[in-house]
Amino acid sequence: MTDTTTRFRRMKDLPSTHLLGTGTPMCAGCGGLEALHEIYDVLGEKTVFVNAAGCMTLLSVYPFTPFRGSWLYTAMASAPAGAQGIRDALDILREKKGLPPEEDLEVVVLTGDGAAYGMGLSATSGAMERDLDFIYICYDNEGYGNTGQQYSGATPHAARTATSKGAHGFAGYKKDLFSIWAAHRPAYVATVIGSEPLDLARKIETARSLKGPRMIISLAPCPTGWDYDPRDSVDIGKLAVKTGVWPLKEYRDGRVLHTKVPHERLPVEEYLKKQGRFAHLFEPERDETLLDELQAKVDVYWSSVELQGG
Amino acid sequence: MYRIRFHGRGGQGMKTASRILGSAFFEAGYEVQDAPRYGAERRGAPIFAYVRAAREPINERGIIQHPDLVIVADDTLVPVPASGVLAGVSACTVLLINSTEAADVWQHRLNISGPIITLPVAAEVEDRADLPYIGATCAGAAAQLIGVIPQQALIHAIETELGGLGSAVVERNLENALAAYELVAPHHGLASEGAAPHAQDYERPDWADLPLETARISAPTIYAAANSIEVRTGLWRTLRPVIDYSRCNRCWWVCSTFCPDGAIAVSADGQPQIDYDHCKGCMVCVAQCPPHAIAAIPEHQAQAEESQLAGTTGDPP
Amino acid sequence: MSRTLLTGNGAAAWGARLAHADYIPAFPITPQTEIIETLAQWIDTGQMDSRLVTLESEHSMITAAGGAAATGVRVFSATSSQGLLYAMEMLYTVAGWRTPFVLVNVSRGLSAPITLEADHNDVMAARDCGFLQLHCATCQEVLDNTLIAYRLAEDERVRLPVIVNLDGFYLSFTREPVIIPDPQETTAFVGPFNPASIHFRASAPESQAVAVLGGAPYSYFRYELHLAAQNALSVYDEIRAEFRETFGRDYPAVDAYHAEDAELVFVMLGSFATKARAAVDQLREAGWSIGLVQPHLLRPFPEPLLQQLLAGKRGVAVIDQNLSMGKGGVLHTELAAALYGHPDAPPVLASFIGGLGGRDITAEEFFEIARVLRDAVSAGRAPLPRLLYTRDELLEIRKLQAVAHVERKELGKTT
Ligand SMILES: Cc1ncc(C[n+]2csc(CCOP(=O)(O)OP(=O)(O)O)c2C)c(N)n1
Ligand code: SF4
Ligand SMILES: [Mg+2]
Repeated sequence: MTDTTTRFRRMKDLPSTHLLGTGTPMCAGCGGLEALHEIYDVLGEKTVFVNAAGCMTLLSVYPFTPFRGSWLYTAMASAPAGAQGIRDALDILREKKGLPPEEDLEVVVLTGDGAAYGMGLSATSGAMERDLDFIYICYDNEGYGNTGQQYSGATPHAARTATSKGAHGFAGYKKDLFSIWAAHRPAYVATVIGSEPLDLARKIETARSLKGPRMIISLAPCPTGWDYDPRDSVDIGKLAVKTGVWPLKEYRDGRVLHTKVPHERLPVEEYLKKQGRFAHLFEPERDETLLDELQAKVDVYWSSVELQGG
Repeated sequence: MYRIRFHGRGGQGMKTASRILGSAFFEAGYEVQDAPRYGAERRGAPIFAYVRAAREPINERGIIQHPDLVIVADDTLVPVPASGVLAGVSACTVLLINSTEAADVWQHRLNISGPIITLPVAAEVEDRADLPYIGATCAGAAAQLIGVIPQQALIHAIETELGGLGSAVVERNLENALAAYELVAPHHGLASEGAAPHAQDYERPDWADLPLETARISAPTIYAAANSIEVRTGLWRTLRPVIDYSRCNRCWWVCSTFCPDGAIAVSADGQPQIDYDHCKGCMVCVAQCPPHAIAAIPEHQAQAEESQLAGTTGDPP
Repeated sequence: MSRTLLTGNGAAAWGARLAHADYIPAFPITPQTEIIETLAQWIDTGQMDSRLVTLESEHSMITAAGGAAATGVRVFSATSSQGLLYAMEMLYTVAGWRTPFVLVNVSRGLSAPITLEADHNDVMAARDCGFLQLHCATCQEVLDNTLIAYRLAEDERVRLPVIVNLDGFYLSFTREPVIIPDPQETTAFVGPFNPASIHFRASAPESQAVAVLGGAPYSYFRYELHLAAQNALSVYDEIRAEFRETFGRDYPAVDAYHAEDAELVFVMLGSFATKARAAVDQLREAGWSIGLVQPHLLRPFPEPLLQQLLAGKRGVAVIDQNLSMGKGGVLHTELAAALYGHPDAPPVLASFIGGLGGRDITAEEFFEIARVLRDAVSAGRAPLPRLLYTRDELLEIRKLQAVAHVERKELGKTT
């Protein structure tokens, strides 16, 4: 469904110089920052980022910012409401005060999963319900990263976090935010990941071409919170897609389309075993029950996708 | 009171070092305070932790301004002002640097009069972000320099602090800590207790009256664009990616796209260039480069080679 | 100009309308809801050119208000009690952004137990956040103060959000004659919003409300906010003088009623201050030397004026419609701090707590407060703080407790 007229048809169409400034305090190898800089290349500087509390709040620490456009930090729960205020104000300025169109900005919410799946969900739901014209980017590192990676509503089953250190890791299951968002019938919902930059660029371009709520969730491999060597960030991202753990898909006009179907899915454990947060599934001995359960979940997902014809 | 500061990089265990030393002091009958500098700790970024110990209850708090002993786990940090290694260091401060270079080289380079001791530990380790056991090593050396901590207290402190990680880890740490303890034995008790600040003869704080300023100035607003490039995150790097241009096949700029920091730009003719002022050394490019044209070189080695080339004495780039 | 009957809520809505608020983020809560309903209706019928958006919470409402103000439009919003507290995180936040807008708070007691009726604990909880506070005693004041509040908030020497406070029920739902000023005059008085450096524009990027590292920069930004709030005291006086000249009504930072020559003084905020005013009239008639001091501005705290007005008084009774748990009345505490060590400070500063959760304060109670105060002055020491609460009221709660099946034996012991 992604536009065939996209300017991103092959890898060489991706930008080779980048807009987001270097020198930010994100961790070395941060998968969230990787996705953000790829996204920023497509969205450009005519943007105002509205941020909720999380790792990325430290992108702009007085007196430094990596952004060429604008930025507003709000609080953990209400970034979409901040976007509402700014969007409405820009509309008012254009309608009543003659603000020229070239001065207008795309309003972009940027939050972590903790805010998106939990504390900020009501504000997000409200913004979609009001058909707010904005883009929401959730970088999903599957935990409250900035406070030391405690489990959140996005933490996957069995992952070890600072608040789930028991023998079996996190007892809960990752919430299906894509479906929750899609149930609001917004203009666009998509999953992306920095390790699939072409798919990401096309989706951000699609989002840019639409009006209304355009909702993006980026899985954000996090060396610090997931406990792996930073150099593996992209490999882990690719494995998330190849094992089927992170389905790349988009929702538009009431339909869900998978944009990159892993036809020969690798076993989920290929993804799990690269990360310290799942080490207890392999050491001191393999936890076959949990490994089977995690594989079965992914299998069930993809067989339902096949049933629905993709 | 003893005031001790540990400097290192995120991931090198400086908090552990401060806790081991704190526990050892405590074991030896001292009142103790130990704490890491709280903040966004990033792997490879300069961080520090500190310990206070005294026979009396300690009322001082917070960051140590005038240390009696400063321990540096990674010598590449010493000349970097942002790491604060030399903050408050006076002629009475003992400086212990983990370095293969001799003490007098450092003495000369830093031009300070206080005693400097070097401790050549784990120089062969490639990636200094995970110098193994360096925290315990630093704590062991510190215990000896202070001179009032019996070896048994040090051993017990390591067992207490690291017990949760299993006996193998404890063993290796003990080995390294005790080796360092022995190594600096000639300097037993060199670090002495600093005095309390003098209430009669002190430097008066130069208080200012804040002027009322307009909100344009006094709101936390940045009017500049993309000025974060003024922050040199390159100094977090413990490994340096180096491109072998003879092997680079000018692909669709894999390295540039995947670099999380966007620190690799590609010139018009398709040649990638790494911005070492900002590359944090995550090595994602090394892992992703299709023809394996990027190698990971230990940063301290790369710097040493650079300074040899430049004929200088090892200032950072 | 017309004189008409308006509720306090109606007056607040008129204030927003006459100030040409461009944007109104809203959320319903009793006893404020009528304000946003009125505004919504005016917008729907084309009588007001504005945009009203109902958010999904007050936390979001204040975020949107701050976001819009930070983009450079004139914003109005309104809330009450639980809503104000639900928004508390954002009150501090948007004040820190230095965004100018006006928030009407209709005071209502806080849960638990939940109630709909008025007291000032909600607005007192917002005392330290950086919003300035104007407290109204009549419906006319509500309208006039909303206009003044925009001038104060947007003044570049201040640039802070302002709360205009009115009491639930006693003002919000009570109609009084209110002069609706001539729109041309109000438009000229309030003027257009000049956002100056406050904006998000493609051609001039700004990163607003960014993080800081370390206590020193943090202290700078926070103290500057405090200095700006303090500066609002003199700016307020200028705006008030202009308002008086234009409209003939005067709102000094602290109102004094028969206070100048009085030996004893009541100190009170909000609509119940008019009750104190009536009591002063009666007491004066009975030969008492008594007056009323009524702060109109609570933030910035008009300290010099209060010191001056209370200098040389023999006794002062502060009647707080709020309660700081474990301490007592907030206004009493603040006044004590303002007067301490001041030459001519009144020797007796008595504390009364009354009007919690809308509980009335009767004329007789004011008379009794005066008597207690006079006795304290003769005795040379302040009385213990007193809650205005009668034996009948205690009996009443006993009856309720009996129905609620509280152990009868327990009750017997305490009555
Ligand atoms: C109301 C509130 N509660 C708690 C916090 C503390 N806090 C700051 S960041 C954060 C974690 C946010 O998690 P997420 O949204 O996943 O972002 P991440 O830190 O992972 O980037 C928390 C809990 C806060 N800022 N505000
Ligand atoms: S904790 Fe994870 S998400 Fe946060 S900055 Fe570090 S790598 Fe990125
Ligand atoms: Mg997170």
